[in-house]
Amino acid sequence: MVKKKKKTVKKRVTVKKKEGPVAKKVETTSRKKNVLITGVTGTVGSRLAEALYYDKNVGVIFGVALGAKPYYFNQFDTKRFRYKNLNILKQRDLTNLFLASDFKEAKINTVVHLAFLNRVVSASKEKKTFNTLNVEGTRDLLEKCIESGSVTKFIFKSSDVVYKIRPHNPIYLDENADLNFDTDVDPWIKDRVDADMICQSKLDNRKTNIVILRFSNIIGRMVSSQMNAFFDSPLNFRALGFNPLINLIHMEDVIQAIHLAIKKNVKGIFNIAGADTAPISTFAEINRSRMVSLPEPLLGPSNALLRMMGLTRYYYSVDQDRLKYSLLLDTGKAQKTLGFRPRSHVYFERGVA
Amino acid sequence: MNQRSRQRARAIVKMLVPEDYDRLQSIKINDLGFGYDPFGLEMESVMLAFAVAKFVYTNWFRVESHGVENVPVKGPVLITPNHSGVLPIDGAMIGVDLAKKMETPRVMRGVVDNFAGFLPFVNTLFYRWGQIIGARRNFEELLRQGEMVVVFPEGHKGTGKPYRERYKLTRFNVGFMELSLLNKTPIVPAAVIGAEEQYPYMLDLKPLARLLNFPYMPVTPMMLLLGPLGIVPLPTKYAIYYGEPLHFYRDYPPETVKDPETIYGLVDTVKTHVQELIDQGLRERKGVFGFSLSSLDALLGGAGETVPPEERRQIQEKAGS
Repeated sequence: MVKKKKKTVKKRVTVKKKEGPVAKKVETTSRKKNVLITGVTGTVGSRLAEALYYDKNVGVIFGVALGAKPYYFNQFDTKRFRYKNLNILKQRDLTNLFLASDFKEAKINTVVHLAFLNRVVSASKEKKTFNTLNVEGTRDLLEKCIESGSVTKFIFKSSDVVYKIRPHNPIYLDENADLNFDTDVDPWIKDRVDADMICQSKLDNRKTNIVILRFSNIIGRMVSSQMNAFFDSPLNFRALGFNPLINLIHMEDVIQAIHLAIKKNVKGIFNIAGADTAPISTFAEINRSRMVSLPEPLLGPSNALLRMMGLTRYYYSVDQDRLKYSLLLDTGKAQKTLGFRPRSHVYFERGVA
Repeated sequence: MNQRSRQRARAIVKMLVPEDYDRLQSIKINDLGFGYDPFGLEMESVMLAFAVAKFVYTNWFRVESHGVENVPVKGPVLITPNHSGVLPIDGAMIGVDLAKKMETPRVMRGVVDNFAGFLPFVNTLFYRWGQIIGARRNFEELLRQGEMVVVFPEGHKGTGKPYRERYKLTRFNVGFMELSLLNKTPIVPAAVIGAEEQYPYMLDLKPLARLLNFPYMPVTPMMLLLGPLGIVPLPTKYAIYYGEPLHFYRDYPPETVKDPETIYGLVDTVKTHVQELIDQGLRERKGVFGFSLSSLDALLGGAGETVPPEERRQIQEKAGS
């Protein structure tokens, strides 16, 4: 063990002596990735932590989330996996984290930002709090990472809800497609668009490579996505006369994409979609969930009624256009630059897609 | 459609059009795994639509066509017919004709106006039948996938033009020419005779059209006389003419798209070809309804009306320049 340590020190010294772009490349490839995962207790976060833990090219994994350390992290060696209970989206907690000695020791060079308050809220006071935490929290974290000088990569998990859905959209939306800047859009979407834009505004930063991954609908157990909630419900409503194509992505592919973004020397925005594309009714049928078509004006009240009865977690107001118009992502850039290829098919509890 | 509905649909198609069933079965689509292509096309929906439209094609409009051999059997191709008749029935008849008569049957991918996307049912049906809302990116994607695309360069101006302007081509959009040059795609000019008289359209209820988000809301004498039954088109005799393919991309590199004057000139050339095919069709037809009954034809304004010579000369001059 001691010998090994000596070797790595020697390697670093030789790299520092070299000059020019070649030397820089060697440095980035030889250095292990020490990764901070925000929102590590979420489904994506915990799966990602597990995947990175078994990756030899990853050094320390520093997970932060709200709440005590979950039992499933106890299997990990504490030298490689560290956990901190804090709200990264709060300025004070963020500052404390960056000042903490164990965090400094970890020499974090990659940040995967997954922490985002996902609950759809209706009260205006709550909306403001959520906006402060989600948008300003993301901005503060990003700025802190850039300021630190040691973070060379910042990965932000965004989603396709940021895109403006229109009937005359191209069938495949690329990364340059219009975002949803509508003033009357639900704050749930607005927060996501704002956070995405904040990350976009720093894309040309030279010290930190910023990667924005826009995922299609993630389906999986305990995943808090709108489509997941939609298919979880025993009864669904869809807009009469519309049956849009949707794409579902398996959790394994989500992890694969983030993992690739950590490993590869990339920056920019990437659309990430899964292997399964079909009309919404086809997936409902595979899931054997009951789907009733209703005229559009009735969808909102019907959904509210289902929520009152505790039959669904899906919010129609959040993505009403999605029930009418197709939204598929063009993943050409991710395939070419990241080498991403969806490998898994979505599994429904009542059938396989 | 679920698997059972698909099987049922195929059985119905086999019963309705047994002579075309094998041809339709042989059409391959870019299936994403659930029986739909990336644009939402579903082969069973196409087959059902074909079976229904073929009945109209054979018995109502009694369609005849000429020059179908000019349409390439593989690779990307753009077909550019005139557009008329209030409802896009001309597009459906071209689709049936190509699926029925081409040596290797192909699904026609029509590019439709944006307003169709807003309409419930229409939106879904169009996608299932392989029709695409007119976003440029979709158009390009279709050509890249080697599809046979039918684009009506007149757009809804063609279907919405009043009866007195029948067989007079309106302004052509230029997007199709740019995409043809960029994607090295041949253009097959085409003409549909008969559609222009199916709805003798007199009046446009613009406020109602605006209210319903439609580009126009026509009123025909048949609608005034028969009420809702007036929606049934007149049984005019259809004739479809396909011209020889135009390979502009061989002489004009993709950079030509930056030169609007040349593009307009090329578009006018296509327009002239379409107009020539229309003239040929009007000369050759025996009457609006396919038989010579001068009084009936006279009621509809004559069977052989065409563009005035002066207007024709202007078009040709423009195309030449």
